[in-house]
Amino acid sequence: MKFWEIGKRNLKEIYRNRVVLGFLLGMPLAFMLVFCSAFAGEQASPISMSIVDEDQSQTSAAFIQYLGSIDAIELNEPIHSEESQAQEDLENGKISFYLLIPSGFQAAKQAQQTINLELVYKAADPMLGLQVKPIIEAVGSEFLGVAPPLNVELKGTESKIKNETVNFFAPGIAVFGLMILIATGAGMIAGDREKGFLARMLTTPAKPWDFILGYSLPFIPVLIISTLIYLGVGIGLGLTIVGNLGYAFLIFFLIGLCSIGIAMIVGTLLKSESQAPICWVFIVPMAMISGAWFSVEGMPSAVKSVAEALPFIHAIDASRAVINGSSFSAVMPDIYWLIGWAVVLFATGIMLFRRTMVS
Amino acid sequence: MNAVQTFKLTKEFDGLVAVNGVDLEIKKGELFSFLGPNGAGKTTTIRMLCCLLKPTKGSASILGYDVVKTPFAVKRVIGVSPQETILSERLNCWENLALIGKIHGLSSNEVKTRSQELLETMGLMERSKDQVRKFSGGMKRRLSIAMALVSNPQVLFLDEPTLGLDPQSRRAVWEYIAGLKGKKTILLTTHYMEEADSLSDRIGIIDEGGVVALGTAQELKANTFGMRNMVVSTEHLTAEVIADLHSKYSRVAVSKGDLKISHKDLNFKEIVDYLHSRGVTVYSAVLEQPTLEDVFIQITGKKLRD
Repeated sequence: MKFWEIGKRNLKEIYRNRVVLGFLLGMPLAFMLVFCSAFAGEQASPISMSIVDEDQSQTSAAFIQYLGSIDAIELNEPIHSEESQAQEDLENGKISFYLLIPSGFQAAKQAQQTINLELVYKAADPMLGLQVKPIIEAVGSEFLGVAPPLNVELKGTESKIKNETVNFFAPGIAVFGLMILIATGAGMIAGDREKGFLARMLTTPAKPWDFILGYSLPFIPVLIISTLIYLGVGIGLGLTIVGNLGYAFLIFFLIGLCSIGIAMIVGTLLKSESQAPICWVFIVPMAMISGAWFSVEGMPSAVKSVAEALPFIHAIDASRAVINGSSFSAVMPDIYWLIGWAVVLFATGIMLFRRTMVS
Repeated sequence: MNAVQTFKLTKEFDGLVAVNGVDLEIKKGELFSFLGPNGAGKTTTIRMLCCLLKPTKGSASILGYDVVKTPFAVKRVIGVSPQETILSERLNCWENLALIGKIHGLSSNEVKTRSQELLETMGLMERSKDQVRKFSGGMKRRLSIAMALVSNPQVLFLDEPTLGLDPQSRRAVWEYIAGLKGKKTILLTTHYMEEADSLSDRIGIIDEGGVVALGTAQELKANTFGMRNMVVSTEHLTAEVIADLHSKYSRVAVSKGDLKISHKDLNFKEIVDYLHSRGVTVYSAVLEQPTLEDVFIQITGKKLRD
């Protein structure tokens, strides 16, 4: 149980270093409070949109054509005539939202009555609906050549969620919080190497596995406590757990393991503890393009591809989905992706760590 | 069987030879000191013996265990106090000692008994429950040595154990090390000649990666070079006389009228007569054995090292 002694030492070093501990838990909490309390964002690139045209009129066709000519919008093909088709795509995750043009659209226009449009989106991504609504309102008013009466109604697919914004942000920021383990873990390993503590420990009969477990295990209670705190604060701010909290915990645990694996890799590559902040060059952009704070809808496809190749976006999407009521089987592809990454990262970390043991 | 044995032990870093074919035989229970200028290869040699560096060429064994083939067997029988005072800063003395002791397989009771004994010996008991980051340099150094000893190792490596200590702390550490003589095999590196002179059974002087002199302090001083020192208290010493002495003797140093001459087979009468003949007043003249520092400078030269 030599690893246990090394692990105990590392846990004490983390626990007794108030700056590290405060940073590890404090920063994501601050993010959560700020993001859940107030939010403002802008969409920078075309938003991919599906259309359900129940009206099937000349006016609705012209409106759709007009929508397609707007730079900020990219229309998905085909245009559905029945809502059930779009609903199925939404449930299967093929689309994030759709615009419903109800029957009577042309008649309402001709009669100059109030025109109702519906934006139907995933409750897991409420920010998307909030971003798209003003665009549709502006485009619709322009097309119709009139000031409202145009009523675009936002309609989430889940109704049990009390505060959709919190349900959007809390899982994303929890994953971001677990990404901070990368910087703290890497800093700890690099610091121990720089100060010679690791070399001193390497003169003892501890085996490579003792070091690997000793440096990774202490972060597991940290990640469990962090997750509990994030979820606790999220619930305090209005997070509604519609689905299974255990599944969410499993997802957070897996992304935490990925972060620890990255920490081991980076920690062995860094020359000193003072270089650890370089991790933020990776963490912050990854959190952004993985949808921790903003929807990834509308991001350039190249950026989305990078994000989707990495584990974070899968953890964020899957945790949001299971908290909002999706079944475990619906997020299995994300889970497999996370397990795969955890294995690859740990194996690489172990390999590099062993190499540093004897130069 | 020797406690430490090396054969043509060599370490190169990117073509730079740090340790060059070192042959050593250190007997069980012997206290062996490594003396050498900065960058001579002392610490690199110790790091190879502690299994932290792989030798480029040659071999080394500790109590018969090869450092490359059986590193974990070596690590079970050694204790190491590194040159830098390396501790777990947010742990207290007990926790630091328990960490090393338990990794070496000691039970909780054994760790407790051993730690208590070491903390009392090293004068750390009073502050034993404080986090060590609050300790002075001397206290940290003493704890570092205690950590090397907690597992009761058969072979102890002490890399500059008294570096940066005040005279009181240094003497306390020396006394403790002297008390271990004969009970453990100790390999010590130091810059302090007095430390090596008073503590060591044998001394190896290492320079530019190789062992250039080996023996007891007395052997190094007397036999190896046969050097003797003469200290003469004078007046009216001229530059011409000093230059003349420089040309005749191995080392000549002048400080405030005191003339120190080092040379093999020094002739006391001949020097006094020569000084009188050149009009130099001689108040007193004393013959001395050379110090270890004289030997060290004689062997390694005066050139500054980095």
